[in-house]
Amino acid sequence: MLEQTVSRVLTCIQCGKCTGSCPESGKTPFNIRMLVRKQQFQSSIDEGIPWYCTSCGACTLRCPRDVKPSEVIIDIRSLLVEDGQIPLAIQKALENTFTQKNPWGRSRAKRAAWTENLDFKIPHVSETTEKRLLFVCCIQAYDPRCMVIPANVARILNQGGVEFGILGEEEACCGNEIRRIGEAGLVEELQEENKGNLEEYGVKEIVALSPHCMNALKKEYGDMGIKVSHYTEAVWDLINSGALAISKPFEKKVIYHDPCFLGKQNGIFDAPRNILGAIPGLMPLEFSRARETSLCCEGGGGRMFFEVETTYQRNAEVRVLEAVAKGADMITTACPFCVMTLEDPATEKGQAVRELSEILMEVL
Amino acid sequence: MSYALIVGEVRRGVFEERNLDSFGLCSLLGKEAVIVIPDGPYSFNERLADTIVKVKTGEEMFLNPLNLVNIIEQVINGRGKPDCIVFTHSSSGMESAPYVAGTFGLPVVTDVSAINKDEGVFYKSYYSDKIFGEFKCTGEGPWVLTVRSGSFKDAAAEKADRPKTEHIESIAVSDKRVFVEYVEEEKTEIDITKAEFLLSVGRGVGNKDEIPTYEELAGMLKATLSGSRPVIDKMWLPKPRQVGTSGKTVKPKVYLAMGISGAFQHIAGMKDSDCIIAVNKDAGAPIFQYAHFGIIADMHKVRDKLKDMLKS
Amino acid sequence: MNIVTFTKRVPVTQEEELRITGDGEAVDLSKLPYKVNDWDNYAVEEAVRIVEKTGGSVTAVAVGDAESDEVLRRAIAMGAKDGFLVEMAQAVQDPFARAALIANFIKNEKVPFDVIFTGVQSEDDQFGSVGGILAALLKLPYSSMVIGIDKVEPDHMVIRRELEGGLQERVRISLPCVLSIQSGINEPRYVSIMGIRKASKVERKVFQGNAYEEGAGAMIEAVKWVYPPRKEGAMMLSGELEDVCKNLVGILKEKGVYQ
Repeated sequence: MLEQTVSRVLTCIQCGKCTGSCPESGKTPFNIRMLVRKQQFQSSIDEGIPWYCTSCGACTLRCPRDVKPSEVIIDIRSLLVEDGQIPLAIQKALENTFTQKNPWGRSRAKRAAWTENLDFKIPHVSETTEKRLLFVCCIQAYDPRCMVIPANVARILNQGGVEFGILGEEEACCGNEIRRIGEAGLVEELQEENKGNLEEYGVKEIVALSPHCMNALKKEYGDMGIKVSHYTEAVWDLINSGALAISKPFEKKVIYHDPCFLGKQNGIFDAPRNILGAIPGLMPLEFSRARETSLCCEGGGGRMFFEVETTYQRNAEVRVLEAVAKGADMITTACPFCVMTLEDPATEKGQAVRELSEILMEVL
Repeated sequence: MSYALIVGEVRRGVFEERNLDSFGLCSLLGKEAVIVIPDGPYSFNERLADTIVKVKTGEEMFLNPLNLVNIIEQVINGRGKPDCIVFTHSSSGMESAPYVAGTFGLPVVTDVSAINKDEGVFYKSYYSDKIFGEFKCTGEGPWVLTVRSGSFKDAAAEKADRPKTEHIESIAVSDKRVFVEYVEEEKTEIDITKAEFLLSVGRGVGNKDEIPTYEELAGMLKATLSGSRPVIDKMWLPKPRQVGTSGKTVKPKVYLAMGISGAFQHIAGMKDSDCIIAVNKDAGAPIFQYAHFGIIADMHKVRDKLKDMLKS
Repeated sequence: MNIVTFTKRVPVTQEEELRITGDGEAVDLSKLPYKVNDWDNYAVEEAVRIVEKTGGSVTAVAVGDAESDEVLRRAIAMGAKDGFLVEMAQAVQDPFARAALIANFIKNEKVPFDVIFTGVQSEDDQFGSVGGILAALLKLPYSSMVIGIDKVEPDHMVIRRELEGGLQERVRISLPCVLSIQSGINEPRYVSIMGIRKASKVERKVFQGNAYEEGAGAMIEAVKWVYPPRKEGAMMLSGELEDVCKNLVGILKEKGVYQ
């Protein structure tokens, strides 16, 4: 790992495009160009600084020299992790993920509790014919605000006649945030466990509810010969083919926020927009920074698990203020981290935040 | 009559209220209550005891387990073996009881919270009170016990006669463990994890100007003010006062949550509080699922009414 | 400075619903994840910090089944030099029996130490007794609830122990001694998975627990396990605001936080 960082940073020409795209620069002490510079000279870095990174990926996408600054951050964090000197809240998240396979340390036995209020039973993926797995995600399995999302999507897929199953309590954290925190050993354990189950049950396709899980399963689990998609892609296919009929109008101004892991990192911009476009009466609005330039909500990179030391105006609040200024009735998005980080400032400003499936439930 | 030897807990001239639980347990067991304490002006209801043994030594030497074993030995030499030796489940009790048990080869059970006298069993909590074990003594007594504060004090009963007083004139004092001094809490930065009573405000507080009124209320209630993340994010309260997964985890005796909806990340930081009281105008707020007591009302109205009541 | 520190592997019970089998026969621990006892983790961290300053070594000892090796590897990853497993097939319930077993082990195997650390209590049984009993059996001075170790000399330590209400007392204790370490004494380092894997390369010596059982019989026994009385959801205080607030103040008085 260290060798990769060394070779990587040596190609950097310090153009500053990374810092120019970084959602943390200017308002926090985090300066990615400077960190790469320090790595070039092997100078010491303030331990608190690397934890600001939200893993949005903008720096890596825009770097003209393929330095991959996001990976440089992961390398720096890995050294801190191995040394043991990391913020207590991150330690807890990692230890919880090791024991209970989710960063919040909720009981593994209750990972399928979200299915309890459904009026149909969701089979274990091994009991299905098509071996299509709905990968739920930790926060959506346990957080009361988000548990409604997998329930909604399950109902939607059911209505669309799509056969799917879940892993239930056998599902372990995908490891996307864990890798970005720098705990490579734990990522290996998680991948081993998930891959083992995927193989054992002959899973052929995965529909992920969170763009973070989709990203990890698609790009970081190696070639499993399994098709991985985000649920918005699956749902758009259903609407497009007529398998899912939208029967009610939705007379609201809805502004869509592109999640970093769905949009800029995986190029999925249209499926969610197409879904919104297919809803009669819905007036779609766009943020000034949309699609590739969407403003990161600051939920990724481990930021969901701990607070940085500086207090500053969060991007989530900037987004909400823009939504209000544009006269939106609600902000919608397709990532649970975005939902959580946008909702705090939104509730304060009287703005609603709805996950895409919540809108769909009202119109199907 | 068989007797129970109570090791009285005293600290800085105060006879601790926890000792009542030791008396209560004695009454329930039907044993004569013999309490041993340092010879000093400790005020307590002496009628609760059958015998008070006063030891001529300083408090700090009495509370030292290495010296306590000598004191207990003298008591036993004087009046024979007790049926049980009872300590409070406190910092000193938790330290001394096992040491005494080890010295005399006696069975020990700590944090006893209930008994069934007929069956001869003591109840002890496991897994943070999720399960209780019924314990019997299979060895030769006397039992050494520490009793959970609040569990038996209602059973403490005054005796018909005034207590006898005995004296122990001198004890062997060890030089292997010596009290140096007390160290008071440093009041530099607020540590909400040490507070017994937290008054916590959430988003419902509305705006910065309301915070001083809650500070006042906290002062009147002798509570420490804390808050949920949205309040800290807006800098209405400083970071050390944040309760939640990205703030501090607290376990106070009472957690009074006002205007806090009960977002999961907040609940994780306070759900083990002994008593959670939630005030929120939203009847569906998730916090009511975790609270012991709930009040559906506007937090500002509750604040105002409480301040009125407490002023008078 | 040689520090022997005890560490225990305990089930994770927070968030879990525990089941009692049979008619109060046993608690079903079969499906629970396990972790290191929190207090022992603080003790290991404190021991490692001390020897980092004074020189010497930390030896971690676990009494338990073969799986307890996990917590030894963790202690080694944190900086302990050695790990000893005193293997017992069944958990020893009575803290006295446990302490007596440990005392025999230390004496028979002539384990060298200047100080013995235990955690104040373990998360599962919460007896908090092994340290004190062990000290008495080994005829060593003892202190519990240790929240700070301020001075380390070859023949004594000056420690602070936690009392109630934020008060602490400073105590001078001669070496060798036994100390029970309170949580919060330090901020333990994170132990990475790779760190634990590296620790696997250090040999953990296994001793058979039944060789040390002489005179270590149990004196107490749990004859039944029961659930606590059930608590039903939040009790809603209703009525006129005046009455509700009176009620509230009453609760605060009862809990002892407001007079």
